[in-house]
This record gives sequence, C-alpha cells and structure tokens, in this order.
Amino acid sequence: MTSGQPEFVTITIDGREHQVLSGEMLITAAEDSGTYIPRFCWHPRMTPVGMCRVCIVEVDTGRGPALIPACMNPVSDGMVVATQSDVTKKAQEAVLEFLLANHPLDCPVCDKGGECPLQDQALSHGPGESRFVEIKRNYEKPIPISDLVLLDRERCILCDRCTRFSREISGDPLIEFFDRGNKTQVNTFPDHPFASYFSGNTVQLCPVGALTAGPYRFRARPWDLLKVVSSSLFDTAHPRIEVHASQNEIVRYTGVDNDATNHGWLSDKARFGFEYIHSEDRLGAPLVRRKGVYEATDWAEAIDVAADRLGLIRDESGGDALAVIGGAHGTNEDAYALSKFARVALGTNNVDCRLGDSLSSHFLAGTVDRATIGQLDDADTILVWGPDLKEEHPTLYLRVRRAAQELGAELVVVHPRATGLDDVAFRKLTYRPGEGFDLVQALDDGRYPDVIEALDADNVVALIGIASHADGPHVAEAVAALVRARRGRSDLLPLNSRANTYGALDMGLAPDLLPGRVGVSQEGVGRLRDHWGEVPSVPGRDTAGILEGLISGEIRGLLLVGADPVRDFPIPALAEEALEAAEWVVAIDLFITDSTRHAEVILPAETFTEKEGTVTNVEGRVQKLNNIRPGPGQTRPDWAMLDDLAHRIGAPLGLSSAEAISKEISTVAPAYVGVSWDLLEWEARDGVVVPLEGESQLAHIPVAVATDGKRENGLSLHVARTMYDDGVRLRHSPSLSRLALGPVVLVNPLDATALDAVPGDSLRLVTVSGEGRFEMVVDEGTPAGTVYVPFNQPGATALGIDSAVEAEVADA
Amino acid sequence: MGVLAEFLKGLAVTGKTMIRTIFGDGLVTTQYPKEKRQKPQRFHGRHVLNRYPDGMEKCIGCELCAGVCPAKCIYVRGEDNDPDNPTSPGERYGYVYEINMLRCIFCGLCVEACPTEAITMTTLFEFSTTSRNDAIYTRETLLMDEKGNVPHMFPEDPLIEPKELLTADGWVRATAPAGMAAYEGVQMWQRTAGPADWSPEPSQDEIDATTGKSEDGDG
Amino acid sequence: MSTPLVVTKRMTEYPSDSHTIARYEATGGYEQAKRALGMTRDELVGEVKTSELLGRGGAAFPAGVKWGFLAPERPAYLVVNADESEPGTFKDRQLLERDPHQMIEGMIITAIANEAHLAFIYIRGEYPKPARRTQRAIEEAYQNGYLGRGIFGSDYDLDIVVHLGAGAYICGEETALINSLEGERGEPRLKPPYFPAAKGLYMKPTIVNNVETMSNIPHILEMGGEAYRDLVIALDTGTYMISLSGHVKRPGNYELPHTLSWRELIYDIGGGIRDDKELKAWIPGGASAPWFVPDEHLDLIVAKEACALAGSMLGSGAVVVMDEDTCMVRAAERIVRFFSHESCGQCTPCREGTTWMEMILRRIDEGAGRPVDLDLLIDVSDGISVGLQWPPKMTTICPLGPSAVSPIIALRDYFRDEVQRHVDLGGCPFELKSGETRARAPSSLAGAGPEVRGGSTGSIPSDRESAGEGSS
Repeated sequence: MTSGQPEFVTITIDGREHQVLSGEMLITAAEDSGTYIPRFCWHPRMTPVGMCRVCIVEVDTGRGPALIPACMNPVSDGMVVATQSDVTKKAQEAVLEFLLANHPLDCPVCDKGGECPLQDQALSHGPGESRFVEIKRNYEKPIPISDLVLLDRERCILCDRCTRFSREISGDPLIEFFDRGNKTQVNTFPDHPFASYFSGNTVQLCPVGALTAGPYRFRARPWDLLKVVSSSLFDTAHPRIEVHASQNEIVRYTGVDNDATNHGWLSDKARFGFEYIHSEDRLGAPLVRRKGVYEATDWAEAIDVAADRLGLIRDESGGDALAVIGGAHGTNEDAYALSKFARVALGTNNVDCRLGDSLSSHFLAGTVDRATIGQLDDADTILVWGPDLKEEHPTLYLRVRRAAQELGAELVVVHPRATGLDDVAFRKLTYRPGEGFDLVQALDDGRYPDVIEALDADNVVALIGIASHADGPHVAEAVAALVRARRGRSDLLPLNSRANTYGALDMGLAPDLLPGRVGVSQEGVGRLRDHWGEVPSVPGRDTAGILEGLISGEIRGLLLVGADPVRDFPIPALAEEALEAAEWVVAIDLFITDSTRHAEVILPAETFTEKEGTVTNVEGRVQKLNNIRPGPGQTRPDWAMLDDLAHRIGAPLGLSSAEAISKEISTVAPAYVGVSWDLLEWEARDGVVVPLEGESQLAHIPVAVATDGKRENGLSLHVARTMYDDGVRLRHSPSLSRLALGPVVLVNPLDATALDAVPGDSLRLVTVSGEGRFEMVVDEGTPAGTVYVPFNQPGATALGIDSAVEAEVADA
Repeated sequence: MGVLAEFLKGLAVTGKTMIRTIFGDGLVTTQYPKEKRQKPQRFHGRHVLNRYPDGMEKCIGCELCAGVCPAKCIYVRGEDNDPDNPTSPGERYGYVYEINMLRCIFCGLCVEACPTEAITMTTLFEFSTTSRNDAIYTRETLLMDEKGNVPHMFPEDPLIEPKELLTADGWVRATAPAGMAAYEGVQMWQRTAGPADWSPEPSQDEIDATTGKSEDGDG
Repeated sequence: MSTPLVVTKRMTEYPSDSHTIARYEATGGYEQAKRALGMTRDELVGEVKTSELLGRGGAAFPAGVKWGFLAPERPAYLVVNADESEPGTFKDRQLLERDPHQMIEGMIITAIANEAHLAFIYIRGEYPKPARRTQRAIEEAYQNGYLGRGIFGSDYDLDIVVHLGAGAYICGEETALINSLEGERGEPRLKPPYFPAAKGLYMKPTIVNNVETMSNIPHILEMGGEAYRDLVIALDTGTYMISLSGHVKRPGNYELPHTLSWRELIYDIGGGIRDDKELKAWIPGGASAPWFVPDEHLDLIVAKEACALAGSMLGSGAVVVMDEDTCMVRAAERIVRFFSHESCGQCTPCREGTTWMEMILRRIDEGAGRPVDLDLLIDVSDGISVGLQWPPKMTTICPLGPSAVSPIIALRDYFRDEVQRHVDLGGCPFELKSGETRARAPSSLAGAGPEVRGGSTGSIPSDRESAGEGSS
C-alpha cells in the first residue's frame, strides 16, 4: 500500500486461479471473479461484522483448510478457496437452516416477499427442507418504530445492518440490539422512536422483511412493479433513485448505489416524497378564472386566454412589463424552454428561478473552482459554512459525515446553532445570525488559529451557503474569498436547496444569465442570435425586484412556474402584496397554492415521473430523469405549454420534443456541449459533470464585501429551513407532512428562564416584517441570545429576514 | 367393395342410435339445459374465494395468483387488517380481487399458487353475460357468503342448480406445498394461514383403490 | 505423593489470614514486584517464556508467548479475567478470596513486563465476596504505595480497577470481556483482526490473563523460569488447579502436578464415586469440554496434550464426575441449556443452533423424542461445529457455540443406546426406574415472546408454556 499502484495477488477459487486486488475482502474478490458467496450482514458500504456466518467458506492459506467468513478476511497470495466443498456447503446450509428455523415464513403477506435475499439465498444455498418442528419465536408484529418504519422482530435475522447503518452512516444510533441469545432483538430505546431523517434506508438495507416502510406497506408486490432509474429532486445533490410503479401508481423510491452522489442512501424526504404525485388535489385540467371562480377548460382556450393578455401587455408596455418567477422544479429542458420563452416570446430578462433566499446567480453557476461531491473523500479539511446539511442537504450530510468519520478529514462547521455534523466536527463555531461577517473578519484576523491552520491544508473543500435568512448572500462570498486566499488548493461548493436550481441557472433562469453559464451582455446575446434572434441584453430584475415592480405597477404580467413565493419568499407579505397587485398572472403548477390562486390561468404541470429530461445537481452533474407513468388528466410537460403560448403570442420557439430541446441546449449552451441523452443513458448513467470540456464562460471570483454586521443587544432571530416543512409537494404527501415541526420556536434554557416561559408556552415574536405566535421548545443546541424559528412550517407566520426580534410570553 | 362395407358400417351406428332414440330410453343427445351431465371431479369452473369456518376470509392479498396467471387476468390489492375487526387472519387481506373471466383460460394455476387455498375453482361454468364489464368478477361476486354459498350473478336463472352453488370447494390443489411427492396429501399449513378445515384430496392411488376405476374418463 | 504446592501454599499453611497483606508480606510478598521494577521487558517476558507457563483460563496458551505478541503501540492495558463462569469451575474464587495479594503482585509484574499503567480485574458479578476481598487487598496495596503513583518509590505508575460483570458467561471470552469493559454489549470480536495483544481494550494492545496465571507469576520470578519449569517433571509445567465436583466423595479444589492419571484423580484424590457406584462419564475441563468415559480414558494422564489427543481439553480445570445413575440426556440437556441461555446472540449458528439443540434434547428427555431426533441433533450440532471434532471447525465467531456441542459428541460416541431407550420408552429410563419425577428447571426459551402460540406440528407437552416457576 505504499505506492498508488494497485497490487494483485493470486488466489484459487474452486480450482481456478484469479488475479485479485490485494487487500480486498474475499467476498468481493470472489464476486468479481464470478463466484457468488451468499451474504446477509455484509454490505459494501458498511464495516463488515461477520455476524450472519452464511458467507463462511473453507479456505486454505497454507495452514490447512479452515472455515472463515469471506466478508471479514482479506485475500492473501496463494489462498485456496473452496466454495463448493462438502464442509463449506454443510456450513452454509446449516446457517440457512438456522436462520429459517425461527423465521415465520409469512412470505405471502410480507412486503419483502419476491425480492428477499433470504428467500433467494435459501433457494440457492439452503438445504431445501427445514427439520425444525418446534415452536417458533413469537413477538408482537409489527410494531411502528417511527412514523415511517415498522419493525417485525419475528422476521429479523439479526444481521446488524440497520443498527450498523444508524450507528456508522447516519450518525443517529436510535435502534440497537436488546437482550441476548435466542431472545436477541432489534428495538428502539424506550420513549425514543427511530426518528431519524434516514430511517427509510434501513428498510432497503434489511435483507428480510423485518423493517418495512409504512407508505409502501401492502401497496404492491415486487413482481408487478415497473422500475425506472431517475434522480430525486428533493435534494440538490440529486441522489439517484429507482422509481417503482404499479398500475401507473408510484409506490416507492429506492436508492441506487453510485459512487458519484448518494452511495445508495436517501433521506426519508427523498425516499417517501411521492405521495403528492397522486394527490387528489393535483390539477388535471387547465383552469381559467371566470367571475372569480376557476373553471376547468381545454388547452386551446386556456392557452388563448393566457397568451393573448401576455401578448397585449408586451405590445403595450414592452417586455420589461412582464416577468417570470420559478422554473427550479422542472428539468433542464423545461428550464431552457422557459428561459427562451421569457427572452424570445416575452422579450424580458426579468427572470428568476431563485426566491430571494439564495446566493448570487454568478456564485451558484459560475464558481470556477467548484468542488465535486467525490472530492470530499480526498479532502484534508472540509469547511461547512451554511445551512445545517442534515436538514437541507442530506446527501451531502452523509458524504461529509463519512469523510470526517471514516476518511480522516478535519471538519469545521460554522452555523448559528447546533447542526447534525457537530459530533464529528473537529471545530464548531457559532455566531449570532446577521453577524456572520464579523466571524469572517475574526477568522481573517487570526482569532481562531486552529481553524486557519486547518484551512491551510493541501486540500480544502468548502461547502458554503446561507446559514440563516438574516445573513444574506454576502457573508457566503466573504467566506469563499477567505477560503480561496488560504495556502492550499481549495474547492468550493456553493449551496442552494431548491430542486433543480443549478440546472435552471445553467439554462439562464436568472436576470443576469443566459443558457450555458453565460452572463447577460451584448456578447452573450450576440452568440445566441442565430438561435434566439434579438433578445434584450441588459440584466433584468431578480425575484425581489420583480415583486417590487409588480407592486409599483412597472410590471404588469407575471408567469409563475412551479414557484410559491407567498410561502417560500423570505418576506411573504411582500410576495402576497405583489401578486395581489399584479394585473395578469399565469401559473404553471401541480396544485393551486397560496401563490397560484392569484393567477387568472393555471396550467397543469407534470411531475418528474411523468416526463423525461435532465437535471443538474449541486456539483454540476447532469443526470437523466426517466418517465414511468402518464400524467393525470390533461397535464403536459412545461416546454409544450410554453411552446404553445409562444406560438399564440406570435414568437414561436420551435420546440418539438424534450430530446430535441436537449440537442438545442448542447448547441446553444457552452457549458453543455457534448451532453446528450445518449451519453447519459448509456455511457454515463450516473451523469457527467459539466462542462465536459473547456472552461466555463462565467468566472465568478468571490470578493469579500464588508457589510455592517448588525449587533443586536436583544435576541437574534435565526430562521432556517428544516427537512420537513410546508412546501407544496410535502404538504400533499400525508406521510411526510405530519412530520413537520409546526409553529415552534427553539429557545436556549437560559433565554427561556429570562423570558419566564416554560416548554409548551406560546411565545409572541415580533420583527419588522411580521409577528406570530409560536410554541416554545427549550433546546440546548440553540445558543443563548438566539431564537430559532424553522422556516415555512405549517401554521406558522413568517418573520422576514431581519435578525432583530422581540419575544414575550403570549397571553393564553 | 371395401368402401361400401365401411360406409354401411358407419351407417349402422346411425341406425342403431336412431332406433334407440325412437324406441328405447337411451337418448344420446343430452338435453342441455333441461338436463345436466355429471361433471368430472376436477372440472375447472369459475373461481370462488373461500372462508374459514369462523367466517374469516382466506385471501391474504398476496398477489401470488396474479403473479402466476398466464393470462394476466387477476388483479389483487392488499390492505392492512383492522386489528380489532380482522377480515382475514394475519396482517393483510385482499381488499381488491378481480378476475376478468373473458381472459381467463381456466388453467387453475392460481389455485396451485394460492398459499392459503383461498381461491379454488367450482364446477360452475354458466356465466355468460351481456356486457364486458359484467365479465370482470369482483371480490363481491367471488367471495362465498358466511354459510358457504357462492354468489352468482343470476341466482334466479333456471339454468342454475342451487345445489351447485354450495359445492364451492370443488377441489383444492393437487401438489403439496413442499412440492415433494412424499408430502402429497399432507396438510402442511400452520397457524399463519389458519386451519384448513377440509381433508386433503386423496392421492391417485387411493382413488383407484376405492373406485377401481381410472380417474381419466376417455383414456 | 508429595505434591509441591505453589499458588495454594500460603492458604494451605495459613488458612486463617492468608488473604491479609500482613501475612502476605510476612511470607515474602511483594518482593518479586520490587525486583521486577529493575528488570527489562525482555528479561521478564523471557523468564515467563522459559517457565513455559500455560494460560490457566482454558485455552492453555503459553503466557510468555502471548506477552511477546504485544503490539508496540502504547498505551497498553492489562486485564485480568476473573469472570470465572465455566460451570464446575471454582478455583479463581478461592485464589481471590484467600490470596488476593498473590494475584495483585502477579499483576504488578505483568504490568511492568508489558508496560501497562492501567490494569483491570473483571470479576463476575456473582462473586461478591471475592470481589470484596480483592477490593480490600487493592486498597491495602494502594495504602502501602504498591499501587498508584510511583509504586514502591519508583517512577512507575500503576492503577488497578475492579470491574464487576453483570452475569454473562460469554464475558469470560477475552474479546467479549473487553467489549463489556468498554461498556458495549458483551459480544466477542472477530479474530482476526481483533487479537487483544494487537487491538484490545479501546483498540490498544492488551494482555488478558486469568487469575491463576497471574497468581503463578510471582513464583516464576521467585524460583526463576527454569526452576519453575523443572518443578515437576511432567508433560506440562508447573502445577494445576483442579476443581473436582460431581459424584465423588471428596469434591473440592486441588493443586496438582500434571503427572496423575484420571483414575488417580477420581479415585485417589476424589476418594472414588459417591455411594461406591460405578463411574459413567466425566467432564475433564469445564462444561465446554467433550466428555470422557471410563472404558477409554481412565488411564490417560491429566495434561494438555494427552487430553487433546483424546479429543477433549483440560480447559479451566473443572472436572465433573457423573455416576452410573446419571441420565446422559438430561446431563447433556442441562449443559446445552446453559450455553443456549448464555449465547450472546451475535452469530446465527450459536443463537439458533444451541436453542434448537436444547429443544430437541428436552423433547427426548420428556419422552416425546422421535427416532430421527438423535441424528437430527447430531446434524444440527454439525452445523455449529462442522465434523464435531475437538478442537472444533466452527461456523461461529467464538467457541461458545462449539462448546455447546461437546456433550453431543459423547451422546453420539458412547451413549447412543441410552438416547434410543428414551425414545423407545417415551421417557427417561432412570426416572421410570426410580419412579421419581425430578423437578425440571425452566427452559431458557420460556418467555421468548409475549405469547406462545400453539399449532406447530411438534409434540411438545403443554407444560412448556407454563414453565417459569422455579429457578435454574
């Protein structure tokens, strides 16, 4: 292991010699050489424990044949392995018979039946008949160990996979073995449910049907499932998933093991977030408001009504009187169609897929030294300055946790309160929301020599985002500038938490961006002239600007595409007022939301399971999504509606299919040259990081701009997103929506004492933007002086972005 | 010469039958539907969903019948049993059960596949309908009532013999659950599926011994 | 015969106060520990290697060799295994109760030899008196400056911590003991890679030795390794504590040389079989050792090699003698039940296999045995310990599973007829003969779940379900 060159050793498996990698475990070496050794407890992404004993094989390393577990023993030169010898077979058959002795064999009612490793391996390596005639072990079945996972201890074969996962991978060891011997069982600790954000992974890991998922329970059997590989949009790392549908109904997602992103793991949100697709509230037909009431209509009429007025406004007041918000929830193809629609048909650069809570578009799209997720594995130091990854970026959370815990990276976490990574961090810094810049300054002045020393390592990866709404985008730029100025190589990963924001920005859904990471300028526009004709070359307004324009009347018409600013914009009152004031709003969405109900026309959209396309994740990795079911009713892909609208307006876009659009993108967008569906479907199934060749046109160099850190003498308000909130898709997924925290405020015990409040009290919080009542939760993780309000919770009022807050116990 | 002999030989059969029909009592043509023939013991007729003696449904919604069906004419969906008022023993019951009789080829593989002997075949075969929708038998039409009566779409139909509706458990599967000859006729099912209350079908040898006949009619 | 006493000399000569520090020092105590401080690690390890002292915990691994394997990483730890839980063994208890300072001195020497500054004694929780005496002895040693900062006025620090087990047999296995000390579940670690001498307590090099081994160390230093080795001219060096129990006239602990035969041990030392009955079988080395029978093994020498050649082991030195009226099925069931109850549940063959064996044996004992049951039993055992040999070719992580199989080897080889009689008679022939019904201990399986549902094809009498009264 001294050189990077892989060393090979020769082993003999069943009489045939194989060259295998030195140090590899026998079980994988044998599998790579074409010999399958059965296994239950062994998992390629976790530490081997050698508990199930079914991988036991007879091995001779020169000291005579011995029975050893193949999952625990690395190969050595000259090893002779007998996987078919009498002794091996006897041992494996015995272990399988033992495993089945107390197994209830209720396969017909078991969700795992049909895809069960125990079934499969009992058939391939088992003895065939059980001789066990005694009474089997009995337990109450099934017991819900969390809101999403059910445990059937009778079926459990105690392989330690779920417990190991929660211990090693997700870092919340909430399930453990209890009792001993024949009564050993997996269970949760009393009064501590398995409330992990990653609990669903244990269901996929379980080699039997002991752990089953509530949302999938009895919904289908494995043999009637259609499966297609796709990516989850509930996480900007876009973990690869397999979508399983039965009778055109999505019944579950499973994680797909790939090195690039998620290693097969999914957060519960990404795993169980499919119920909204079948929600009864989903729109199945275009809606047009007549006399204040929405009426379902046909496409021709809806397009006419919507487009005629948009065209009229354009003709009367010019393109600058129109604007587009949204587009981050669709595919790159849809985003490109929207970008082209805005510029070509509406004639405006008032386009933004961000909702006022993001880093600058140039930072997100144009970071030249953008890190890949894989680089986390080789990093010496990882800096996480931004959102709590566990809440907002679960895939990155698992990768960072692994890097810090297993691969020896030094982790520095900076966040206003406790985060999920604190226990593996070598240094954790907290600051009061809104005072982030002071901390950057302090670091720069050398106040934290250990952190600076860590940042001076050879290989630094910095994950930078907006930690608290009060921080604004400039702190992140200052952090990036700080990291880049350090000695070693540093790579940045600018964080944003909305579905396909990165893809949408790459397609030009920002007031200052054009497709392919090109800035809005004469030159950029000139390059597009062949394809797009004349389009405006002056940057337009961002979301905040558009909302203000709507209020002032400068902007008359708005197209909302899968965006819900009334819930999602940090100052919802502003969004509400703007939409109220807007003259003409057209929405493309799945549901009628608080924002789309201001629209005159609502066009029913399709979810990612119903259309094909590509998406781009946080590291710039383009992956292919595949459809598996038709959309309900008359739904259509966004690009098709936009093409129709443009046609009616009189500026045809010439879009014919999603694949044709993707070809157009690879011609028009410099960063996407060479990306084709063929490539993504055949050669690069895990996706490719763009740009494939050459340098990005956009080169954003972050600069530290001094901001006046507002020092609050009273309490500071920390507002950040949690995994489960009141987002549109979650609200329509019953299994997940009930996990949202609700209107709560987390307060340090000292502050709670100072406020003379006890847990459960209702606190009245007042800021410049709003006020509301929140249930108080006492929380050690929130530092004294800071109160934490999770953003966009059901029933909660939004408090804006200003960190100054006043709190008092509300009268009952 | 030879041709004529053969011709007369054939005509003799016709003559014999004609005479027997006119003068004797042996009508050769069965006067269906007024008359009904004895059906073979393993006649594959329409399906029925069985119950346990205590009234619980046997179907657990496992979809194995749907999985094995070569005509893909069965559609099943499982659902959680209400623990306080279970429909079937165990955790799961079939809350949707549909067979499209137009597609069904009456092969009986569903019966073979069923782990709880919930679906069996009756000897009923008269179920012509006037609409395609009626040919899709739902759970309501397939499930026997608490007394063991098979529901029928037209119970008042003169063609239907009421007693046939009571012989729902026409036959159960021939193969043993373990699939081994040594287990033939041995009831292997335990509590998970509930007690099967009928005795297993006798083996081939036993039938031969009691009747002295080969089971197969026309060899 | 003149038997040189080593570890039990003091307690034999001064039975009233051998456990006190005054008596210990008056008989030359702690001199060797002082001397050891002036010796190098190589000298000390060399001395113990020369003595050829075999570990007394059961595996009989040469102690000096084990010390030599200690990985160079520091800190290193010393752990003394006083979790004496092998059924039939009670020698460590006596050593702890009657001569704790002897062991403490051995620990000090071992710690110096292995450069450990923190040592643990893991005493089984069922030994309150030995634990109290040990704790008091340690306190005395601290007061006299033999432990703590700068022991014996040198610059060597050594602390000893007493840890009480919580009643798990498996914690006598060294890696499970280490897990238990760390606060984890008492489950064995896999070897390789977790040999304690390389990666032990807190993943640091650790020496794990038994109480008796420790008690021998001061004597080796006192006599010198060679003298100790030549103390008794026999197959194995030194003396050996035997815990003799069962149907003998004089059960008890004996310190013996390895020159005796089993006949001498049972009939001369033990005074013969109680009520002058016939000897039927005996367990030579604790419940995990395959049994011996008089026809074949009575004249073998009580030594490691001789036992191994005969397919068993001396183990922890617990000899359990069974007379002619002992029901072998019930004896086997009792031992299997013990192991099934003590299985940690980590690996499949042991967790499921021992329980299954217990069920079969219990059924045979209760008269519901089927003709196929003995072969089934042997085959099930075969799945835990392939080939049913000793030492075992095991499918398990640790030797607990194969230990449970050892009585089955005897049933297979010597008592097949007796099992058959159980099946034929539909009950225990000994019980039928005497007409008495012996109270049955509850099964370790009772109460496995909230309810025991019936309906299996097995023919287990219903009293299985109500088993729960009484105690084991």
